[in-house]
Amino acid sequence: MASASDVLNPRRYFMDDRRFVGVMFLAPALLYILLLVGLPFLLAIAFGFSDVTVGNTELNFIGFDNFVAVWENDIFRQVFGNTVMFTLVSQVFILIFANILAIIFTQEFTGKWFARFIFILPWATPVSLAAIGWLWMFDTKYSPIDYLLLQTGFLGPKGILSNSRNLYWLANPVLSQISVIFVQVWRMTPLATVILMAGLSSIPTDILDQAEVDGSRFMRTLLQIKLPLILPIMVIALLFSMITMFGDMTVVYVLTRGGPVDYTRIIGLYSFQIGIEGGNLAQGAAMALFAFPLLLALALLMLRTASRAEVR
Amino acid sequence: MALLIWILQNFWSLLVLSFATLVGLRIAYRFRKYGATRAELSHILRRSPFYLVVLIFCFFAAAPFMIMFLHSFKVDGDLYRRPQPFIYRQDPTLEHLESLFTNTAYLDFIRNSVVVGVAVVIITLILALPAAYALARLTGRWGERAGILMFLVYLVPPTLLFIPMFRIVVMLGLKDSPLALIVVYPSFTVPFSMWLLQGFFKAVPPELEEAALVDGYNRVEAFLRVVLPLSLPGIISTIVFTFTLTLHEFIYALVFITNTSRRTLSVGVPTELILGDVYFWQPLLAAALIIAIPVGFAYNLFLDSLVQGFTMGAVKG
Amino acid sequence: MSLVELQGIKKFFDDVRAVDGIELEIENGEFLVILGPSGCGKTTLMRMIAGLEKPTAGQIFIGGEDVTALPPRKRGVSMVFQSYALYPHMNVFNNIAFPLKAQSREKKYDKRAIRDKVENTARLLEIDMLLDRRPRQLSGGQRQRVAIARAMVTQPAVLLLDEPLSNLDAKLRANARDELKEFQRSSNITAVFVTHDQIEAMGLGDRIVVMSHGKIQQIGTPQLIYDDPANEFVATFLGSPSMNILRSDAFSFGFRPENFLPKTLADNPENSRIFHYYVKRVEYLGSDRLLYGYVHGHDNELTLAKVPSNVRVSLDVDCDYEFAVHNSDIKFFDKQSGQRIEEQNLQGVV
Ligand SMILES: Nc1ncnc2c1ncn2[C@@H]1O[C@H](COP(=O)(O)OP(=O)(O)OP(=O)(O)O)[C@@H](O)[C@H]1O
Ligand SMILES: [Mg+2]
Repeated sequence: MASASDVLNPRRYFMDDRRFVGVMFLAPALLYILLLVGLPFLLAIAFGFSDVTVGNTELNFIGFDNFVAVWENDIFRQVFGNTVMFTLVSQVFILIFANILAIIFTQEFTGKWFARFIFILPWATPVSLAAIGWLWMFDTKYSPIDYLLLQTGFLGPKGILSNSRNLYWLANPVLSQISVIFVQVWRMTPLATVILMAGLSSIPTDILDQAEVDGSRFMRTLLQIKLPLILPIMVIALLFSMITMFGDMTVVYVLTRGGPVDYTRIIGLYSFQIGIEGGNLAQGAAMALFAFPLLLALALLMLRTASRAEVR
Repeated sequence: MALLIWILQNFWSLLVLSFATLVGLRIAYRFRKYGATRAELSHILRRSPFYLVVLIFCFFAAAPFMIMFLHSFKVDGDLYRRPQPFIYRQDPTLEHLESLFTNTAYLDFIRNSVVVGVAVVIITLILALPAAYALARLTGRWGERAGILMFLVYLVPPTLLFIPMFRIVVMLGLKDSPLALIVVYPSFTVPFSMWLLQGFFKAVPPELEEAALVDGYNRVEAFLRVVLPLSLPGIISTIVFTFTLTLHEFIYALVFITNTSRRTLSVGVPTELILGDVYFWQPLLAAALIIAIPVGFAYNLFLDSLVQGFTMGAVKG
Repeated sequence: MSLVELQGIKKFFDDVRAVDGIELEIENGEFLVILGPSGCGKTTLMRMIAGLEKPTAGQIFIGGEDVTALPPRKRGVSMVFQSYALYPHMNVFNNIAFPLKAQSREKKYDKRAIRDKVENTARLLEIDMLLDRRPRQLSGGQRQRVAIARAMVTQPAVLLLDEPLSNLDAKLRANARDELKEFQRSSNITAVFVTHDQIEAMGLGDRIVVMSHGKIQQIGTPQLIYDDPANEFVATFLGSPSMNILRSDAFSFGFRPENFLPKTLADNPENSRIFHYYVKRVEYLGSDRLLYGYVHGHDNELTLAKVPSNVRVSLDVDCDYEFAVHNSDIKFFDKQSGQRIEEQNLQGVV
């Protein structure tokens, strides 16, 4: 039994206090993350304004010199353009395919389990390993794709696309860009699909039944009921895959290392090559930082759109 | 072995045949159930474009994996002979698969990946379980804000962080140590797991905990004894996805670890199985496929639960 | 000919026989209530009428036409769901206009026609000032009216309502019930209304269909069902407190607590049966006294009596009294099947 002094002493019941337990539960994770992300983030900014290299550990602040140098670097401009272009173009395809697939996979059909297994593979496989498969698919000499094109008459002496026996996917400027975008779309579509599936399956069945009784057919239900209702989730999916793509260098690292020339070089890869391989930490950090305001603006814009959309 | 050779040599005809058989069986089943009527035939005709779309998507998704499977067993003379076809002109061989396990550091990569993955999963659970519970139940508005902050942190790309992190890792003397990865990976696994777990916790009716509180447990005990066991399926799927996130990670692993035998799968396979400009294609493709299949199965098994966690986490409340 | 006709309708979900052989005719302009305990198949039956569910067996006719294989949009029905299922991203106007737009291809509605129809319907339901609002900015009662407006705007042959009042609080509910009835009468629409609330059913229905375990137990006017139950299930399901059922060797018989009165109060003692009643407990319910006790010879079957409070008869706990039931108020049921049977000789029982 609680005695009077127990009751008066609030500390005796701290394990029952919502606030106290809440703080206690949340604090370790929050601190760990803020430390692990916040510290390097601040350091990245500090690096950006300094002349630090791998050899020289001292931080001498040199103002905006790095950023100016980065911006005046023609290669970086192309790299920046590539990054934006790859991200935007692939998002368009990802959204289209993900919507189609999400609608397919929220329906019942024979063989669904197997089809789902297949279509999830690109996402389940570690990117760097999946990219190896594509590296072989795009091989200069032995590309299986080229073989198919050769057999169907698109390649070869009388070929429609080229009269050589190969397309040299990763050596041709445009084709290498197409290849990189293709692989990105290929591996990001499943994730976007899964997120959209979550959205579609969270629409109350009553609403869909109601639409059916109201006389709405498949397309109208899709365009006027389902898509508007999953719009916020679609924005989240878009945000996710854009930011993942923006901050990823795996595919290009494995496929092209940025080549031919700089046609597939993107910010992540370039800052890795300058900062780590080239040892110029300061320049590398400045490059990575360059895109950050853009990314942040994008994220905030999308979060706002998502929370504005009126659902429920 | 003989079976494998036979499968490999007849890969495409087997694929087409087995697919045709399945379709045939399915149609036969429907005919038996509903009768081979005109309505049934038109039903099949109406459905077939749908299946065609599914088939096309599946083909694109699976293409590199089929090629990986098919080409892992070719002898060099067969693989590097132009034009490069999809059939076996010479007998398949297991030689490359053997060399992958005996002559390369592949087993080391697997071991390193497992060590890092398991350690990260443990740290993640310790941090994320209570934090997710706090977000789901204990904290009000400020908890919601903390959750959004976490979500934003998850969006900070590794390309922005790897350079300063590299510096810190070097300073702490953790370069080339799996510890570096174990310490850094929670920076993305914790926010991810928190988001998922929060969804699973919200699915547990609050009345159950309240009953436990009335029965004489305090908040912490109620969490440990009521909420955790009830959300076990969700926790397991969180473990699976956390583990695979660490398996996928590339940039930090590439930057922090340069010693071959210390590398993890995602970096080791594409960098160390290539000597200079020489690609050993069969072992490379096999190495990728061997990882892809089990992870694919795990994803498919836990996908529904992931979707559920995601949806619940997204519901305001 | 009746407007809706169900013939041998069955619906099985694997082993669950949700609806198990329903024959039903719904007349033009009537307010039909489907009443039954939770899980008896009411919603399933209604969804089959709407076309959202395909019957396992049987046929459905609407306006004389076999609609069993038709999709909902070809049936000329509309439905109000328990949750109202308002489209959350559309304002009230667009919600009500949605079915018109969806059917505009077949019915050729232009923009003006749609606007006129929506506004007229909204005026009828007194929600015309809410047209710009989103569903979540509405109260429960307003949402319900929007849902009804949306269902009415296409002038359907049949209006299906699945427990549309159960989301409202008690006071609003009584109000909405009256309005709904009034609205149905004035618009003369055929309505099928599902509920498990017997008061709602009695108040609303021109006819009531009592269902249990996927089967129809009885169809009839509220009064018929209350006074003349077809079987023991209907007898005990309706009325609160429910009918007393006493068993004897050959049959069961029952009478309602409000017909079980002290002998001194009986209008017509000659035509009544007299029971020796031992009162164990008394509850005061304001206007009534509810007595719990046992009839002599049925010591294990708790029997209730409901005696108006304004009659001054003292009724005390632990005392024996003589109570009477008018002969016509005693119903007899077969012991095995529970079906009603005609008048019996009571001599051996009492
Ligand atoms: N889609 C379904 N799959 C399997 N069983 C179902 C399905 N829909 C209904 N049932 C079962 O059919 C039976 C009748 O369900 P129904 O929803 O029609 O009951 P109801 O009378 O509307 O009950 P309530 O008053 O609770 O709404 C129940 O046992 C239910 O579990
Ligand atoms: Mg129901």
